[in-house]
Amino acid sequence: MSISRRFKGKEANYLLLLLPLLIFVFVIAIYPLAFSFFISFFKYRLTDPDQTKTFVGLANYITAFKDPQVITAISNTLVFVAGTVIIEMLFGLALALLLAAETRTMRIVRSFLLMPMAITPLVVGLIWKSLYNADFGVISYYLKQLGVDVGHGPLGEISVAMPAVMLIDIWQWTPLLMVIFLAGLKSLPLEPFDAARVDGASRWQSFWYITLPMLKPALLIGLLMRTVQSFKVFDIIYATTSGGPGSATTVLNYHIFTVGMTFFNMGYAAALANILLVIVAVLSVLYIIVLERQQI
Amino acid sequence: MEKVKKIASALMILVFLLSLISSQALAQDEVVCESEVVVQANDWLSKLADKFYGDILAYQAIADATNAKAASDDSYAAIQDVNIIEPGWKLCIPSAEAAGVLIEAAQAKTPTAEQPFAGTELTLATMTDQFLTGFRYLIPKFEEETGITIVLDELGYVDLYQKLTADFVGHTANYDLMTMDIVWSGEYAANRYTLPLDDFMARDEAELQLDDIMPVAWTLGEWEGKHWAYPLAGYANVLNYRKDVLAEAGVEPPKTQQELLALAQQLTDADNDFYGVALLGAKGPAVAQDYMAWVQQHGGAILDADGKPALNSAENVEILEFFGELFKYAPPGATDYWWDQRETAFRTGNVAMMEGWSIARAGYEDSDISSVVGNVDVAKAPVTEGMDPKYGFGGWGIGINADSENSEAAWEFIKWLSTPEIQKEWIRHDGAPIRRSTLEDPELNKEYPWFPILLESFEKGDGDYRPRIPQYSMIQDALGTAVNGYLVGEMSAQDALDQAQAQVEAAMQ
Repeated sequence: MSISRRFKGKEANYLLLLLPLLIFVFVIAIYPLAFSFFISFFKYRLTDPDQTKTFVGLANYITAFKDPQVITAISNTLVFVAGTVIIEMLFGLALALLLAAETRTMRIVRSFLLMPMAITPLVVGLIWKSLYNADFGVISYYLKQLGVDVGHGPLGEISVAMPAVMLIDIWQWTPLLMVIFLAGLKSLPLEPFDAARVDGASRWQSFWYITLPMLKPALLIGLLMRTVQSFKVFDIIYATTSGGPGSATTVLNYHIFTVGMTFFNMGYAAALANILLVIVAVLSVLYIIVLERQQI
Repeated sequence: MEKVKKIASALMILVFLLSLISSQALAQDEVVCESEVVVQANDWLSKLADKFYGDILAYQAIADATNAKAASDDSYAAIQDVNIIEPGWKLCIPSAEAAGVLIEAAQAKTPTAEQPFAGTELTLATMTDQFLTGFRYLIPKFEEETGITIVLDELGYVDLYQKLTADFVGHTANYDLMTMDIVWSGEYAANRYTLPLDDFMARDEAELQLDDIMPVAWTLGEWEGKHWAYPLAGYANVLNYRKDVLAEAGVEPPKTQQELLALAQQLTDADNDFYGVALLGAKGPAVAQDYMAWVQQHGGAILDADGKPALNSAENVEILEFFGELFKYAPPGATDYWWDQRETAFRTGNVAMMEGWSIARAGYEDSDISSVVGNVDVAKAPVTEGMDPKYGFGGWGIGINADSENSEAAWEFIKWLSTPEIQKEWIRHDGAPIRRSTLEDPELNKEYPWFPILLESFEKGDGDYRPRIPQYSMIQDALGTAVNGYLVGEMSAQDALDQAQAQVEAAMQ
């Protein structure tokens, strides 16, 4: 028996041992994915009495890019992603720098800051919804005390609803970035900072020319991770505004939910979901590339 | 050689997996002894049951398991009398779980002549509406009478619709019975989701007193001549108002829509957070249904004469503008109000008037949830000037899942619930009426002095002002977004309804 054949045999054994897991992945991930890809080419609405499941080719995808609701949803999603990710990055970095010191107080403050992350997004949404409520909510109450006209309440005003929803996301996810950046800060070597100080660099200069460049890997990981997650936002919107007022906070994922679970228009919903999938997949690939580069 | 090995190992894994499945399946019908006991002097079955399960009453499980074993293996003793066991007998002690199953099976109810469906378990998916209290109160009585068990699954409006549809589409038959909103009748009928009840109704006609059910109540489940749900709770759209506030202002409750608007304006005192009227404005079903109620009260129509959606007719645009006008005298948060928030606004005394479903009326006299006890009265919903009065009618039917295997038992429950005597209890526990005899009952009229208004509203009720067509959910969703968009100033009334019309037309293609 030659070595290569022996090796092959082993490989087959590995495969066998992996089989249960592979079956699991196939059933849970690959089959549904393939099925959603498949039905996205059909006109397939479950609650339509004359439902025929006719093949319509790319029609669902073409409709999607012409559908004003989808365009609104995509642009809302982009606004949401840009707004939350940029602010979360800045706040996360600021908090990480502020709380990097290893004192007792800082440790306590840090652990408190992690609490929002531990709450289910749906519950977070419900809590903030009652805080924002125009007639009974705490936030609206204090805004009124300050003489601010809250109108229909933060979630009810066209111009304020999106920032109000973004604030919830920022409140919940900034701590995650803080943790990532803190880990990055802790792993930085001390020598360059000492050298810079000897050379007379100001604190600002050492931050700009040493900390930031060396923190780049952590920043990139945080950025990509939050971007991907932010694209998929659903729970917060579902719990607070249902995409309203009007369609001011209808993000793509929420719109897909409406099409799929209210109209049961599965073909079209699958097409929309696949569009979202492509966006997120591209970002994920980018994420993997960046991560691999860092290991070198 | 390698190939053979590969196949052999694949087969082994397969066999292993299969054995996992089958051993589980076998456990169901074959008794497995967790341990064996040889009877000693001074042992008795209850003592052993106490020792192994901590329950002296579980002795029957040991006896049953041992007898089952004895049938195939004569080293086990056969117990003829649970009171007599002899030293030296070998007994089979099943695991605690298995014992639980055995005991339950022994106690399980068996059908008898008086209780032909005893032991049947039904699952009822219900909307978390006020009538839920009625279910909670009446179901135990029904269970006692018939031996049928009913499990309640309480769901909010949107969740209920989604879960039911998923259950129907997948034919999973998780629910035997379901409360069904009047507006779902068309869709459920066209898809044959629920069982047509006509055969049952024809068979049991003698005991159903069908003539006594208000004609409008049939719209709760009737579609194209068949009954896809049985009337459960009929609601009339009525005007609730604060007696004290109106008396103080020296005015009568409004008779027309125009008076309603004028009065709402007069009674609004925004500086003191008091508003004329409470309305539903939240994006989604809430605002869509409230707007449609106003279309009805203004004599408009959602569908044209051919039954095609005509959301953006000139008349409807005008009605939407009127609706928007009313919102000026509603609490600012009203564009976010769902049914429960509107109720809260009225019950906490922040508004003078509120149109809404009659079922909420009794709750205003409950000091646990209402701070306006004794100050509320109810009037017929005002219609626009010169219109022949018609009143919005809605509510819930109760249907049987077409896939249910327990349809006879489910029908038994529907029939029982709709008997006139039970209906009185239903009303007294926050249910809503469907029968004329209930609405005219002198006792109930004493307890609920607003029943005559309800009766009149039912007599002139319009159950179709929200079109009960199979595509209803799309109309509702399109209006739900567009009307809310108009109310918060995103677009004009014309644009909003144009958008909704385009959306519905596209979806109905």
